[in-house]
Parts: sequence; structure tokens; C-alpha cells
Amino acid sequence: MRHFWKTSTIAAALVAALGATPAFADNIVLWVNGPLASAPDAPIYAELKAFEAETGHTVELQAVPHMEMERNLFVALSGGAGPDVMALDIAWVAGLADAGLLADVTEQSDPIADEYQPGPLSAGRFKQRQYAMPLYTNNVALYVNNKMLAEAGIDAPPKTWDEFEAAAIAMTDKNAGTFGLTFGGSRVGAFQLYPFIWQSGAEIIADDGAVGVGSPEAIEAVKFVSDLYTEHQAMPASVLTANSWDEVNAPFIQERAGMLISGDWAIGALNNGNPDLDYSIVPLPEGAQAATVIGGYNLAINANSDVSEASWELVEWLTGPRSIELMAQYQRLSAQAAAATDEAIAKLPEDLQPFMTQASAGRARPVVAQWSQIHSDVFGSVWDSALRGQPIDEVMAQAATQIEQILGQ
Amino acid sequence: MTARAPTNQKLRRTWSSVFETGAGARIYPYLMVLPAVIIVVGVVVYPLVSGITSAFHDVTLRTLNSGDMPFVGLRNFERVFADPSFGIASFNTLVWVVLNVVAQLSLGLGLALLLHRAMPGIGFFRSGILVPWVVPSVVAVLTWRWMYDPSVGIVNELLVRWGVINDYHPWLGDTATSLYAVTVESIWKGTPFVMLLLLAALQLVPRSIMEAASMDGASGWRKLWHVILPQIRVSFAIAAVLTFILTVNNFNAIWLMTEGGPLNSSEILFTLAYKYGFQRYDLGMASAVATMLFVGLVIATTLYLKLIQAKEGE
Repeated sequence: MRHFWKTSTIAAALVAALGATPAFADNIVLWVNGPLASAPDAPIYAELKAFEAETGHTVELQAVPHMEMERNLFVALSGGAGPDVMALDIAWVAGLADAGLLADVTEQSDPIADEYQPGPLSAGRFKQRQYAMPLYTNNVALYVNNKMLAEAGIDAPPKTWDEFEAAAIAMTDKNAGTFGLTFGGSRVGAFQLYPFIWQSGAEIIADDGAVGVGSPEAIEAVKFVSDLYTEHQAMPASVLTANSWDEVNAPFIQERAGMLISGDWAIGALNNGNPDLDYSIVPLPEGAQAATVIGGYNLAINANSDVSEASWELVEWLTGPRSIELMAQYQRLSAQAAAATDEAIAKLPEDLQPFMTQASAGRARPVVAQWSQIHSDVFGSVWDSALRGQPIDEVMAQAATQIEQILGQ
Repeated sequence: MTARAPTNQKLRRTWSSVFETGAGARIYPYLMVLPAVIIVVGVVVYPLVSGITSAFHDVTLRTLNSGDMPFVGLRNFERVFADPSFGIASFNTLVWVVLNVVAQLSLGLGLALLLHRAMPGIGFFRSGILVPWVVPSVVAVLTWRWMYDPSVGIVNELLVRWGVINDYHPWLGDTATSLYAVTVESIWKGTPFVMLLLLAALQLVPRSIMEAASMDGASGWRKLWHVILPQIRVSFAIAAVLTFILTVNNFNAIWLMTEGGPLNSSEILFTLAYKYGFQRYDLGMASAVATMLFVGLVIATTLYLKLIQAKEGE
């Protein structure tokens, strides 16, 4: 018994001593999106071990499913709790920063800003202040079923809107039950629609805050894509209901649809779903100009974190030069500038190269605090209305008014 | 306390004897229920009051963080009423509740009557029919989603084969059918529970009453209306109230199948409140809708139970 007390006292003293150690050994709570920590041997664990060994800090990693991340962060952060460092979809930064929930890292990040690709870095900027650093970046490209394209008598994947429309119509065969293009409904479809709006030369919300969705170019873009369903029947009816990527991918996997617009996250799903699928990935077709929509995840620091200095060290570590190696292990793209050189692109797996080659045409969605609402409520409805044959000019004029109202609140 | 009582007549004052007389005895019962009261206040009363208070304050992501949530009177309600989605959602809620409650109660009663008889293998049917109720709602909803699929769904396949429709139809993607398609799933899922409640009640009806009714020459409908229903009235009322509340609050079915869409065609007040809360992050508006729903539920349930009690008193 005496032995027990002695041991306990020493242990307690040790614990107390550790607790009293100054700030250089902090415990950082980190939330990442599920896929980054999907298995106990996921690459991020080794990376965090290296960070711990180098800095003496400890990191507590928690994985949160993508679909629940935004809500969980909102609930935790607004209650004054939540992680010290969090991975955020780049579209959520403005909303959380506007609410004062993210730490301003402008001072720390300015000296190293050159190391990042400008598009992804700007997605972490809100009102001229930096709130998040890019962990990985992606954009959407065109997936084409090689066999279906050849059977339709077309030699090469489409590069322009005209070729794209012609290919979609050529691969559609009502009797065989095949379609040119699979597409999402509502919010998912809206996300796939944004590149076309930019390609037409229109803006969604310009940098000066002007709402551009009522412009003739924007109307033309939405009409161009929705006509593929309403006029040419070149999309399967699943476009009316598909509100997840699984449902968008399904017709492409089953070879019922010849083209798919998606990001690098589709590669795994396609290869798992149909290992025999013979497809190419090419940059999106160009309209008046080339454009694609940027996605990806950022790392940000909780404004209420007690360990903000250590948290910044972790953010800098995970998004810094080492991220090229780390993200390669996930088959994802680092947002480091050094990852976008011709040399670096040549080293990427072949599947990923088209995404990086069109990265310079990448556009971030408008960084405004109300973006989630504009995306779900306004653009989800725009796309659903267009698919149901409502006059596009009226739909877009109404959307412009709604967005102005939301921004004016 | 100073000296031990010489005889056993005066018991030694122990800690617990404080509660045997005087003020101690009066507070004793309250102390006993205190833990339960604390739990109920913590998990029911507090969130309820907090939700209702939020409906009258400006609660958004921004104000929550700053801790300064100004009182805005009825402004949240005004904004909700001004939103065209609210009108659609209110009407849809009405359709959704009426269809669900009527169909679940009548089908549940029908099934209960069918299964309330002694015959070989009846146990198998009784448990088999509970399957929809036992399946986790997420699994059930996603299965139905695929069954409704406009290209490969079995619903379309069967309806075309039977000649009911000529062409595959996007049941969940058509604004005219989405709400009804979800309603069918919800009825399928909810009916077995009603059946279970009513079957249990039927089995308590004394056999002699039924036999007497038969001997008096009561036939099918008359027996059901004048003999069976009055006997199971209380269970029927409970089933009705529960179905009503569960339907108003059936978020899973709608959210997982259509997210209230397309174009609000299957939006009910619950999904609308969720959108205000977790897509717009405007908890003030979400609380305003939730408060209206709560008040509506309480009034409707109370009225119904009073009605039943009044009938009971006749």
C-alpha cells in the first residue's frame, strides 16, 4: 500500500510539472474532414508525429465527416468551444470569419504568402485579412468515357462549348438508354454550373460587390447547360433529384452517361464503382474564356484558442512545403506554389495532371459571409427552376434581386 | 443529543430522522423528486424556454459569438411571414399531417383487425409486418430513394409493367409528386406502430362482449363502429396523438429524400426551420418557426385529448 502511495505521489508531481511547463509544449486540438483520417494508418498521423517530435507540442486529432463539419463547427465555435485548429471547406471561411470565430493570421502569413498559389490563398482572405491557409486545392474538370465517345464517332474530348454540346447530343441514345452527360440537381448542380457562368464572361458577385447573374452572358450560360436536359434530353432524369456526388457519379459508373463534371474526389469513386471503366480526364471546355471552380480545404485557427501560437506553428507545418509530399499520398493537390510548376505537374499521377494544368483558370466562389445561403437558397433554386423549363431570364433576374437583398441585410 | 436516552422509547437522533418531523418532513418529498426535476429542467424546460426566447432575439452566427443578442420583438416572425417558402411549407405541413394521420390510423386499424384472430402462423405475420417500423429510418429512406429512382427504380419498373404509367416518372424530382412520394414512405414506416398499439388494445377487449354482439346479430361495420371502436377508444386516441406528433416532427423522411425540394415542393415547417438554422445560421428565424410549431402542437393535442375526455364523460 505504501508503495502505491509513493508511486502515485511521484506520478501526480510529474503530471503537475508537465502541466506547469511553459507554452512550448502545448496540446492542440485539430479537426479534419473525414477522408484525411479515414484509417489508423492515414498519412496525416505520421505527419503529426513528425510535428510533435520537432516542436514538442502534442496534437489531438479528430475526424469529422464533410457533410457534418460545417454544422458541427458552427455549433461548437459559437458556443465558445471547438478545436484549436480546424480544416474548413474554402466556401465556409467568410461566414465564420465574419462572425468573428476565426483568428486573424494576416501578420504571420504575409511573409510567406508567396509560397502559396494565389487562387487558393485568396479563398482564405475575407475583407483584406487572412483567416485561413490552403491545405489542399482542387477544381472540377471533365471526365469522358472513351468508349462511348468513340462509338458516337467523335475522335477527341470536347474543348469548346460547341464541341461539348455536340458530344453530349451524339452520345445520347434513347433506345439504348444512354445520355451525354450526368449532372447534379439543386445545390450540387449549382456547383457544377458556376464554371459555365464564369466561362461565359459573366460574374456571380464581382470584387466590387456588383451582382452579375442577371447579365445576358450569365443567362446564356445557364440556358446552355439546362438546354442539354430540357431540349436535347442529353442528361438522365436523375439530374432532377441527385443531391449527392454518389448519385451524380452513378450513371457515369454504369456507362449510362458519357461525361461527368467533377473534381479529383471522383477518381476513387469511379475506380471503385467500375474498375473496367475506360475514361479520360480533360480540362473543362472553354466558352468565351477558360474557367473552373476551385474547391478544397483550408486550415484556420479558432479565435478563442488558448494555444494560438502553437496552432499557427501547426498550420504553417501542414500547409507548408511538406504539404506537397503529404497531399501526394492522398492523391490530392497541395496549394503550394512549388506544386504548380511544370516539373512538379509532370511528377503527379496522370489522373491529377489535368486538374493542375487548368489550375490557373481556377476561380474561388465569392467570399461573402452569406455565401452558404446564396448557394443553397438562390442558386439551388435557379438550377431546379431552369431544369423544369422556367424562362431563364426571369429566373436569373429574380436571383439577382434575391442576392442583392441577402447581401444588403 | 447530549445524553443517550435511558429507554428505547426515544430513538437516537440519526441523520435521516431529521426528515421525520416538522420542516424536515415537509421538504422530504420534494427532496426525493429533486433529482428528477433537475434533469427535466435541464433537458426539457431549459431548451424549450431558451428556444422560445431566441425567437424574440436577433440570434445569428455573428451575434452569438459577440454574446450581444438584442431583443427584436416580433421581427423574426415578420421575416418568417414575409418569406414565400413559409406559406408553401405551412400548406405542405397540413397536407403531410392529414394524409399521414388518416392513412396510418385507418391502415393500422385494418391490419390490427386482420391480425387479431387465432390462426396458424399468425405470429409470423404479426412480426413480419413490424419490419418497416424496426428498420432504422435512414436505411428505410435511402432504400425508398433508390426505389423511386427515375432511371433504375423498381417503382417505375413495376408501374410500367402493370400498365399504370407509360413512361418512367421522376417521383421525387417532380414538384407535383415529391410530397406524395415521401408521404407513401412515411405511411409505410409509421403504420406498423399504430397497428401494434391497436392490436394490443383489441386483445384486451373481453371475448364475451364480441360474442354478445355477434349473437345480437351485429354485422361487420356495425360491430366495428358500435362495439369494437368504443372499447379501444383510449388506445386509438393515444395512437392518433402520437402519429400526429411524430408526423409533424418527421424530419428524416423529408430531409433525406428531397431536402424539402425540388423548389420547396416537399418543404414542411420542420425542414424550413432547419434550413433557417443550419443553412442561413439565423437561429432567430428558426426559433420563430419552431415556437409556432410547438404552440400549434400543444393546442391541437390538448383540444383532441379534451374532446376524448368529454366523450368519455358522456
